[in-house]
Amino acid sequence: MPAPPPNWVKALKPSGPQGSELLQQERAQSNVDVERLSELLHTKETLERRASLLALLQPEKVFDKSQNHTLGRVERLQRSLAKAKRLQQLAEEHKWSMTELHAANDLIGEPTPYGLHASMFLVTLREQGTPEQHKLFLERAEKYEIIGCYAQTELGHGSNVRGLETTATWNSDDKTFTINSPTLTASKWWIGSLGRTANHAVVMAQLFIDGKNYGPHPFVVQVRDLETHQPLDNAYVGDIGPKFGYNTMDNGFLLFNNVKIPHVNMLARFCQVDKETNHYAKPAMPSLVFGTMTWVRANIVLDAGGVLARGVTIATRYCAVRRQFQDRDADPHAGETQVLNYKMVQVRLLPLLASMYALHFTGRGMMRLYEENQSRMKAASSPDQESRGAGPEQLRAGANLLADLHATSCGLKALASTTAGEGLEVCRRACGGHGYSSYSGIGPAYADYLPTLTWEGDNYMLTQQVARYLLKSARAVLAGKPAGNDTSQILQAYLDRRDKGASFDVLDEDKDIVAAFAWRTAHLTFEALKHRDAEQRSWNSLLVDFWRLSTAHSQYLMVKNFYEAVSSPQLSAALDPETKGLMHQLFRLFSLHTLEREAAEFFSSGAVTVRQITLTRTTAVLKLLDEIRPHAVRLVDAWAIPDWQLDSSLGRYDGKVYEDLFRRASEENPVNDLVFDPYPWNSALLKNEPAKSKL
Amino acid sequence: MPDFTDNLRPSQPDGPTTLARERRQSNIATEELGHHLLASDGFLERQARILPIIQQEPLFSKDQQQNLSRPERFKLGVARAKLLRRMRDTHRWSYLEYQMAEYLVDDVSPYFLHMEMFITTIREQASDEQQAYWLPLTKSWKIIGAYAQTELGHGSNVRGLELEARWDSRTKEFVLHSPTLTASKWWNGSLGRLANHAIVVAQLLLPDPGSPDIYVSHGPHPFIVQVRDMKTHQPLNGIVVGDIGPKYGYITMDNAYMLFDQFRFVTRLYPYCHVTHYIYRSLDYLSITPRYSGLFGLVCNSPVQGQVITLTRIYTKPEKPALIYGSLTYVRSNMVHRARLVLARAVTVAVRYSSVRRQFQDRDGDKKGPEMSVLDYPTVQIRILPLLATTYALHYTGLAMQTVYKNARQDIEKGNFNSLAHMHSMSSGLKSLCTILATDGIETCRRAMGGHGFGGGSGLIQVNNDYLSKPTVEGDNWMITQQVAAYLIKKMTAAAESPDTAGADETDARFKEFIRNKRCLGSEKRTYDILNSDLDVVKSFELRATAMAYDAYEQRVMKKQNWNSLLIQLHKLSRAQSESIIVATFFDALSNDKTLSTPIKSVLWDCFRLFALYSMENESFEFFRSNAVSQADLNALASRVQDLMARIRPHAVKLVDSWMVPDYLLDSALGRYDGRVYEDLFNRAHRLNPLNRITFNPNYWEDEIVKGSGDNGGGILSKL
Repeated sequence: MPAPPPNWVKALKPSGPQGSELLQQERAQSNVDVERLSELLHTKETLERRASLLALLQPEKVFDKSQNHTLGRVERLQRSLAKAKRLQQLAEEHKWSMTELHAANDLIGEPTPYGLHASMFLVTLREQGTPEQHKLFLERAEKYEIIGCYAQTELGHGSNVRGLETTATWNSDDKTFTINSPTLTASKWWIGSLGRTANHAVVMAQLFIDGKNYGPHPFVVQVRDLETHQPLDNAYVGDIGPKFGYNTMDNGFLLFNNVKIPHVNMLARFCQVDKETNHYAKPAMPSLVFGTMTWVRANIVLDAGGVLARGVTIATRYCAVRRQFQDRDADPHAGETQVLNYKMVQVRLLPLLASMYALHFTGRGMMRLYEENQSRMKAASSPDQESRGAGPEQLRAGANLLADLHATSCGLKALASTTAGEGLEVCRRACGGHGYSSYSGIGPAYADYLPTLTWEGDNYMLTQQVARYLLKSARAVLAGKPAGNDTSQILQAYLDRRDKGASFDVLDEDKDIVAAFAWRTAHLTFEALKHRDAEQRSWNSLLVDFWRLSTAHSQYLMVKNFYEAVSSPQLSAALDPETKGLMHQLFRLFSLHTLEREAAEFFSSGAVTVRQITLTRTTAVLKLLDEIRPHAVRLVDAWAIPDWQLDSSLGRYDGKVYEDLFRRASEENPVNDLVFDPYPWNSALLKNEPAKSKL
Repeated sequence: MPDFTDNLRPSQPDGPTTLARERRQSNIATEELGHHLLASDGFLERQARILPIIQQEPLFSKDQQQNLSRPERFKLGVARAKLLRRMRDTHRWSYLEYQMAEYLVDDVSPYFLHMEMFITTIREQASDEQQAYWLPLTKSWKIIGAYAQTELGHGSNVRGLELEARWDSRTKEFVLHSPTLTASKWWNGSLGRLANHAIVVAQLLLPDPGSPDIYVSHGPHPFIVQVRDMKTHQPLNGIVVGDIGPKYGYITMDNAYMLFDQFRFVTRLYPYCHVTHYIYRSLDYLSITPRYSGLFGLVCNSPVQGQVITLTRIYTKPEKPALIYGSLTYVRSNMVHRARLVLARAVTVAVRYSSVRRQFQDRDGDKKGPEMSVLDYPTVQIRILPLLATTYALHYTGLAMQTVYKNARQDIEKGNFNSLAHMHSMSSGLKSLCTILATDGIETCRRAMGGHGFGGGSGLIQVNNDYLSKPTVEGDNWMITQQVAAYLIKKMTAAAESPDTAGADETDARFKEFIRNKRCLGSEKRTYDILNSDLDVVKSFELRATAMAYDAYEQRVMKKQNWNSLLIQLHKLSRAQSESIIVATFFDALSNDKTLSTPIKSVLWDCFRLFALYSMENESFEFFRSNAVSQADLNALASRVQDLMARIRPHAVKLVDSWMVPDYLLDSALGRYDGRVYEDLFNRAHRLNPLNRITFNPNYWEDEIVKGSGDNGGGILSKL
């Protein structure tokens, strides 16, 4: 690393007012009780656990973050594995729970090559394995004696699991399965932890018995030698190469050339091939799998809030420290204006600030629904036995709470991850030039987050499921057989009032805002139903309508969840009245800003009038920006993201933005070790290294 | 090493088969369209000639560049840039040819600031004497220069710069000094590791003639300063300079920081005074309010000849304001023109891959055939096809800007300055909108490709990372839209003063007509027939922009609203105005064209409609509110957009083929011309990926990382 700068440089201070003073001023002008709000968001226990983990991790050299963005791909992955190993050693030493391991990983801030072993591999073995298989695979996996991954996606197939090409053929003679990749597109692809790390994989393959295809099923396959870590014969495995982000993960490819595995390697808790009769036994409880996906998606929604909070924290603090130009109408002798005072900056950042709260409360709401459903399912004597179709349209739209939740969860996953992903980029751009530096901390977080928009169901594909479900529900309502869930209620309410029309007072009544969002969703649902049923339009031609419908419905759910959270007695008990009032303002900003952006749908559905939209645009949103502005820094402080996790010069809690940018550039930047010969006709590249370019 | 994977083929129908069918189903002549778009200044011919020369050089192979560390990637960038410069001599390339070579290699050149800003600034702002000294040194690359304006604490606001240049009348030297940390130069390209000279913009401090101990600031001025030793390439004493570290993109550029500690110019090395007249770059930002447009100038004698500096402060208008505005417009029209090619790259990859990629079967189909090509999904179309139309819209906009620039120059030479303000406003708004369209468009294309779009084989990662700087350079997109709004408000104010007189220009006439119509409220409630008349589409965009300009005028001038509270509205106004210009130029280009064959013409008209109606749908409320379009027509927009996409869909592959982007430049497994997507992805992963040459030790209880190396993890930590 370059030598530290001379003393005259060390003595320099940023021009005043200092970032630290500006943030102090910001914090002084608001009464938000940061601590109480933090505890409401995260619980006291979580905050304390995080603090002790931080104290443990930060001093370890292996977790140093300073070179994350300068290393080459090969070195980065090596370092990432070193981090993963150390984390696991610490986990063992301190007997961490899964939650603690996750929290530690969050603090490290990047995916590691053990990631898919610790999550999907263990979860799949646990949920889909029999007790015998638990003994054989799970116990060893939990001790990391075998390291695994989850190999579903293929080179030619992602979201469409039924289109997978890898085959598992049952050999009745020697009671084995043959795993094979018939084509190049059958190659497993994108499989996290598989590229260089795992020696086992749960492989999803089309099960063939006696020439008949029974669809995709999970098989445990060993892919590398436990001693040499070299691929086994006829298994071809490797890392898929550099990516937009996620470069600390070894996403892998995998091909099989007729590899035989024993009968016991097909995960058999829900479905199995009978060794003696060669018969296939059907899935017993598919709804449980449904439940897992819902749980995963609820987590994605919750995480989306956290991820967005990172970007908003950085951008808000930096925009409070950064000053640019004088206000055109202000006293010309005043200093430059903090950019956070510009309406153009506020309108980009503050609605995102509101969104991160909306996402958080929505995630919490989903989680609660999931838990209620789990207990209800456990209580029910005969769970829904219907086999899984392509989506909930095939399910009974009766009182099936799971269907309501499932439709809810996939639409919200799409909206939440898109909001967070795009929001991060908005935050990065709002930071101006310095946002482009890796030291901003936003760019790298954005690049690592982007896959979430695709995995667990591509955001655009998922919206079809929501539409199917809404159409089904609408048909039931029209047939006079509405289910007793919220979706049916809003559809019914719309039908009841359709002739009279809506007259929601969205500018003054919070609950009318929720009603207006419900109205718009219901309106779009019946429009789509008309296209599909009365006009008999093709499914494909309606995909764009469905996507809009799903977005509308998910926005409604966020608005509703946000409203319920801010009106809840728990929130009133946890916060002082002023902060509680601010939560209501955030709710209004989130809702009205959304309403204003989607103005056409609100207007054409008759949910609101043109005048109301104009007033929202020119008055209401601006007023909310003014009201929330003084509290912006405290509202991000309440998210309590440690500096070490943010890893951002711009977003530091203490506001020492410029000192930190300069320190990193001058002292942590290996490019400054290179002294170039700048002249084209001298072939030597460097003056301080032998003339040999390393390519 | 041969293995069983060598015999595997992708499942059928494979990429080549699919693309061949795509190309058969369209009657568009790609040669003709490509020629129409790119041949006028010899671009296509140059591309064809220079491409094989570039591809022969191993140094320009793109195979490994994504795997390199920042220092290594930067070294590769420098090595390539040096070679390119030598090749320019060997092949006797013209500057255009040299630019083509750079374009194909597709690195941001670490010498960019030397070749562009450094030379241009000397040429435009140095005195004749200074030019005679510096230009030959610069052109022959005997010195390597950079341009250092932006500071750690100040970007767009040039007046806020903190670096000081104090004139020491005793020693006849300038003293450069950074009083604070935020005064550090920052982001200055080519300076971090390469340049040995820089144009440094600093606050000029001169002694007050009355009391020589007191220094007075005369605002920011440019100075030429040597910053590194010509032999050792180390920074001179009193200067700290280096690279600012890793960034989102621009990995091959050494953006710099630089600080001065009472650094004195040694006049011996500098025979001429280095104070020149004016920093033209800053005009853009300063011109937000008229009070800034009175400019500082300083007349000085050569310190060598006279040893005096004449302390005459002259407030002048810039000598040639027209040229200043003009060159900005020129730069921006180039940005728009470049934007279309960058977007065309992204759309090429997205269209080809989405044709080859298949996913799910049609729900209403027989479920027997292959899965559907994802480009047949309207949810994919609506992300990609409007962008395909956008590439063409940007093309004609760029051309129109060049024409406006040429005409304005002619006017100016005749002493007519009337078109200036209009041109400046137009170029501000268009730069903002077009670079945003391209930037967001690249990312939309990347995401529309699902998982593989995230992979290095997409070919859209470096271009995305590099291009993302565009919305902030040459005027932050959010900042410069204020200028458009300010101009329109001014025009509306003038129109409102005498609405019944004849319009002085097109805008004025339109504004006056609007005001007259507004007066007799209700007399004319006619909306435009956007579904049946292309001309009405253009009119509706104009009306929406005019109505929004009137709103802004009403808020600011009549109701005296605070400027800051209007910024959001003004930003929207700028967008509306710029969209209106793009739509109108697209319309004019197609209406006036007499050369294109019928099939091409008709699909381009569909592209025009798609671009316009898709943009309209996104902001339909504004069209409704301004009475430009009826509610019924707006309700019909969604299905009209879908119909247009269905009509363009069969031609999509040929429409991107016509941009003639070579595979070498695309560097994309997904976007290959021949459609061998999966073979290429596998080849990159399996054969080109250096990670696969390393075997890891996966056991967490062993610190060793590379199997058999016994490194105990130490090798990894030593990199810190």
